[in-house]
Amino acid sequence: MELQARRQNRKESRPAMSEIEKTIPIEVLRYRPEQDTEPVLQTFQVPFTDDMSVLQGLQYIKDYLDGSLSFRWSCRMAICGSCGMMVNGKPSLSCKTFLRDYYPGGLRIEALAHFPIERDLVIVMDDFIEKLESIKPYIIPKTPRALSEGEYLQTPEERDVYEQFSSCINCMLCYAACPQYGLNSKFVGPGIMALLHRYNMDSRDGGTEQRMELVHSEDGVFNCTAVGYCSEVCPKHVDPANAVNINKTESAKDYFLRFVAPKGAAK
Amino acid sequence: MRVVGQGEMHVEVFEADIAIVGAGGAGLRAAIAAAETDPVLKIALISKVYPMRSHTVAAEGGSAGVVQAHDSLDHHFNDTVGGGDWLCEQDVVEYFVAQCTEEMVQLEHWGCPWSRKPDGHINVRAFGGMKIERTWFAADKTGFHMLHTLFQTSIKYPSIQRFDEFFCVDLVVEDGRVQGVVVLETATGQFTLIKAKSVIIATGGAGRVFRENTNGGIVTGDGMAMAYRHGVPLRDMEFVQYHPTCMPGTGLLFTEACRGEGGLLLNKDGYRYLQDYGLGPAEDKPRNKAMELGPRDRLSQAFWYEQQKGRTIEGPHGSVVHLDLRHLGEAYLRERLPQIYELAEEFLGVDPAHTPIPVRPAVHYTMGGILVDGNCAAPLAGLYAAGECSSVGIHGANRLGSNSLAELCVFGKVAGIEAAKFAKAVAPGNTASLLKKAADSQRQAEQLVTRSNGTERIATLRKEMAQTMEDGCGIYRLGDTMQATCNKIDELKQRFKNVNVEDKSSVWNTDWLLAIELGYQLDVAQAMAYSAINRKESRGAHQRLDGFEARDDVNFLKHSQAHYAGDGAPRIDYGEVKITKSRPGTRAYGAAGEKAEQERKQASHV
Amino acid sequence: MKPRAIGKRRPYVRPMAGWWRRNPFFVEYMIHEGTAFFVAAYALVLLVGVVRLAQGEAAWNGWLQALHSPVAIAFHLLVLVAMVYHSWTWFNIMPRTLPPIFVAGKRLSATAITSGGLAATAFASAVLLLVVWRLST
Repeated sequence: MELQARRQNRKESRPAMSEIEKTIPIEVLRYRPEQDTEPVLQTFQVPFTDDMSVLQGLQYIKDYLDGSLSFRWSCRMAICGSCGMMVNGKPSLSCKTFLRDYYPGGLRIEALAHFPIERDLVIVMDDFIEKLESIKPYIIPKTPRALSEGEYLQTPEERDVYEQFSSCINCMLCYAACPQYGLNSKFVGPGIMALLHRYNMDSRDGGTEQRMELVHSEDGVFNCTAVGYCSEVCPKHVDPANAVNINKTESAKDYFLRFVAPKGAAK
Repeated sequence: MRVVGQGEMHVEVFEADIAIVGAGGAGLRAAIAAAETDPVLKIALISKVYPMRSHTVAAEGGSAGVVQAHDSLDHHFNDTVGGGDWLCEQDVVEYFVAQCTEEMVQLEHWGCPWSRKPDGHINVRAFGGMKIERTWFAADKTGFHMLHTLFQTSIKYPSIQRFDEFFCVDLVVEDGRVQGVVVLETATGQFTLIKAKSVIIATGGAGRVFRENTNGGIVTGDGMAMAYRHGVPLRDMEFVQYHPTCMPGTGLLFTEACRGEGGLLLNKDGYRYLQDYGLGPAEDKPRNKAMELGPRDRLSQAFWYEQQKGRTIEGPHGSVVHLDLRHLGEAYLRERLPQIYELAEEFLGVDPAHTPIPVRPAVHYTMGGILVDGNCAAPLAGLYAAGECSSVGIHGANRLGSNSLAELCVFGKVAGIEAAKFAKAVAPGNTASLLKKAADSQRQAEQLVTRSNGTERIATLRKEMAQTMEDGCGIYRLGDTMQATCNKIDELKQRFKNVNVEDKSSVWNTDWLLAIELGYQLDVAQAMAYSAINRKESRGAHQRLDGFEARDDVNFLKHSQAHYAGDGAPRIDYGEVKITKSRPGTRAYGAAGEKAEQERKQASHV
Repeated sequence: MKPRAIGKRRPYVRPMAGWWRRNPFFVEYMIHEGTAFFVAAYALVLLVGVVRLAQGEAAWNGWLQALHSPVAIAFHLLVLVAMVYHSWTWFNIMPRTLPPIFVAGKRLSATAITSGGLAATAFASAVLLLVVWRLST
């Protein structure tokens, strides 16, 4: 009886089927820790129009087919960084990946690779946040300046040097693209290295020396073997591989300069 | 499967001095201000998402702050008060405009990558309704950069203890003052009482109560509803801003900076229709406060009329007009509006350097919110609010673009300092009795999941709410459709009691959170609809076509205040508007605006 | 950030075994890394030649003779293919490894760096071929 009422309800509230003619199979990797021992695939038939994103497909599932499906999302416009997922094995922002590109074969959606799955498409991202907090991601002023003195001068050229690396939205697609992170999660990883580099390259900042310790360390840049896929999947053209590899050079320079100059003198 | 919370109650306790709910721009700025006020104070910064996901991230165009020699604080004041159709608290606006620039400089010192001029100084751009260019910007990702700068800077302060992905379900009020909040950890479904001597709400707007909107999924009016349920009035809730240039269907935003940089709005005949609505003359490059650089309410209203006249273009998601950026050229667009370029290409398949972008208005911002004074203090002792969730009184009946990002900083800071002062002045509450209240809140929240006889689908209720809000509280409003909306929301509130949460689990149960959010949304929507129907005039973003087309300063130069009344309709009363130096005048733009300003100047010289 | 409680959480860690087969990009990467072996192998062949040269004319001629065998020719063709693939993929990744290069105030594009590298390789190979051809005739 209750079920019937619910079904009735669903029918009424769904978009009229005449508007939507096509359906696409979406396979979703489900994992409900309170009932599943390991992740399982579940397929949903989702009606869609050509302008629908993968995220909208998931929202359709949640609204009309299975309310228990969990995933993160918010802005829908590729800036909040919430909705990173594996779409057919490729790390993608589901809000700017479109269902039409997978028609008629369908697609498979899984939680971001290389992170533990908390539930369904939600990953545990504590590790990423801890790394972010560990690199002093703020200006350590080269020359302190009072507010009354106004802004630091920074030419457009000086800004361009770090701007690209400041565009990271923390979506972690690059981590899902980095096999070295998958094999050794202690590796600081591409996105956080890009953030570190962003501050080191900022003309207002004088904190490079404090941050280089981590760059040199066992968990630092030399874990990278230049696979380059991180930059390939970055939705914001941050090119984290570039940040990592520039810092390999920097780290090597620091290492050799230590033989030439006494400790602390090298910069 | 075990159902959450059956049997014994278990609430953990965390002792803080200040609890901040919401870690977007305002919450982070408040946390930093409180931490700097006194590093001994323990600050709990609670957010239902990781801070960098907060909706501040989506703000594009820029943030206001007077910097140019030929500009002045008076100009910014007049633009803001006039733009708000004189429904602003003028003393608060005066404080606001005086603080904006320092706050922008502060962000610069913290590393915000503001766009620069060749000499290294920050650059400013033109914005709608602003007489002189004073909008600081970081390309077209200003909110993103401000949010990340604030978040990353906040990491410097050890006294800020973040609760990321903790969902706030209630305030704890005892002895007439707020003494903490009850939060639900998304990852576990477990509850914690965060004891605090003062609480700042910084949860953002409520745009998701409407169908087509620019807002992220998280913008559900949580903080507004929580304060409201504890007797704090929501002020000026009828004023909901439609942004004139949004993506059809999804409502995604094409920033006002498109027009600030020289973009034009064209109807189906390629005609710059804004000149027909008192915004002309149409010149090649729009002058400030004219044509495409008019205020948002006027531009959205002009769209509505064009649609009525059949001069818009029919698209798959309703009528559209064209936002034409072609003349700006690809190189300039890539530099100044890179995100807009990508949005148009990826979501619409339109190359804005060669094809105009189809746009239509969508809900963008809630001008109203939790009633607070100039110190961000709500009428409930210990409670503060800042940012879009608050009504500190600077936006009036229509917000000017680039004032909201500035507001986050200016009033985020005020809220942080004031909440710190309050926290230092009062004694901690009684844990045992607060825990009892917290357990009640927990029971209330859990009852949504434990109940098994619900039949109403969350998505259905949400969609019906969003549709009726659009029908009744859109760009133009009519008494009978507003009444229908009020009735519909009343009905939905009843049906919500019978809501069915399909998911009965504890770990990352988003079905549950959506149900709680829907409850918040319905309360906020009800406050909006009833405030709207009771305002029998037209002002700013509240425009009626049923005999109340004119502004009525005699009866309605007043703030509406919606008071929560449980199951019943909210009680609406009115508060005074603080007028210091700008008497309500004719709100005109374009050539008419310049003429009106001349006359006002002459009048004041006599 | 407040550390997460455990509660009913049971985060699932997916295995990494066979990771490089999961994505064409990783397969290409592994082939790229694999071709480095051929580079090393060819270096070894040259090294043997040097050793043989030091051992006298007979040894040297023997080595030259061995290079003419069908197996050696097949091996060289294989090495050539591997080297070309290695260079190609190496120059493709190169722009990601270099600090930004500015020419006349404009940043050098990734395509320019890659094609520059490939052109330089092609040019060096051509010069080398020419020199060897001149010497041998």
